[in-house]
Amino acid sequence: MDCGYFHQRSDDFIDGELGYLEVAELQQHLSFCPDCAVELAQMSEVRGALAGWGRLELAPPPGFAERVRAAVELEQAADAARPFGRAVDDALDRLDETLGRVPLPGGRTIPVKNVIGWGLAAAAVAIGLERRHVRRSRELKPS
Amino acid sequence: MAASNLHKWATLPDPSSAELARAADGDAQAFTLIVERFQGMVYSVAFNVLGNHTDAEDAAQEAFLRCFRKLPQFRREATFSTWLFRLAMTASVDYKRHVKRQPEPAEVPELPDERSPDLGEGVTASTLTAALGDLPDDYRVPTVLRDIYGLPYQEIAEVTGRPLGTVKVMVHRGRASLRLRLRAEGVRPAAYPPGPRQRSDV
Repeated sequence: MDCGYFHQRSDDFIDGELGYLEVAELQQHLSFCPDCAVELAQMSEVRGALAGWGRLELAPPPGFAERVRAAVELEQAADAARPFGRAVDDALDRLDETLGRVPLPGGRTIPVKNVIGWGLAAAAVAIGLERRHVRRSRELKPS
Repeated sequence: MAASNLHKWATLPDPSSAELARAADGDAQAFTLIVERFQGMVYSVAFNVLGNHTDAEDAAQEAFLRCFRKLPQFRREATFSTWLFRLAMTASVDYKRHVKRQPEPAEVPELPDERSPDLGEGVTASTLTAALGDLPDDYRVPTVLRDIYGLPYQEIAEVTGRPLGTVKVMVHRGRASLRLRLRAEGVRPAAYPPGPRQRSDV
């Protein structure tokens, strides 16, 4: 193993994804290469610091729970004014969870329901254009 | 060395079935009791993903609203805290995706108790918060999800909507940036390189 290979595999080592033999090989490299050894020790330090940070619970701003309650009550009032709107939102949420997301070129993903929505909108526009074309053809046709 | 963070919230007692049923029926008082118990966890997730207090509060509130809306569909397939953690995480990532706010200067968040956090030799809360806050979003979000919350790479790819390979590269760069930043701040690793004598250990 050389330094280049160490750099390729150091994250896998940190993540515990190397096999026994690869770990042994990496440790052998570290015993000869103080630069990589320091780098790995620093990476482990960063990982340990982040793990330690994650165990801490931060205090939300004062009055946070009351503001959440006010937002919930506001939403309840809005839902009471539009009972079908809430049902539609719930149905769309369930559809989103059921259908999942589709990948786009470039690595992004979008909800399947959006694709269906755009497809329906495009179909509606196409039907509208077709009907207009037919109507105009009839109007222009000599009687 | 696999991620095995034991989070404080993971040990919080789940709300009872009766408490959840009342909240799911629209009892705002019952829901507020749940909010009070889990607000620290939800706010911490939002702060760590978003890196500032203003966005964290908005995203944490959105997470609780989603929780309130979806509570009737909660089927106890996971514990409530795990379910709520995932809502907090997706609400924060969605917030990051849709709201582009000017970054605020990094502040040290207020910890609920006065004890100094166990972050390692020479690493302070302010150093780490500033270093995380200075990471570009593309690096910080996957690095936070991987190294603070121990999520598998595949799940991070699904939550962030990025390919698996990209996520691994982002985490690698995030770790490298944090390492360089902490080194520039004078933080030295506790474990120094093993000497040649340790070859026999291999």
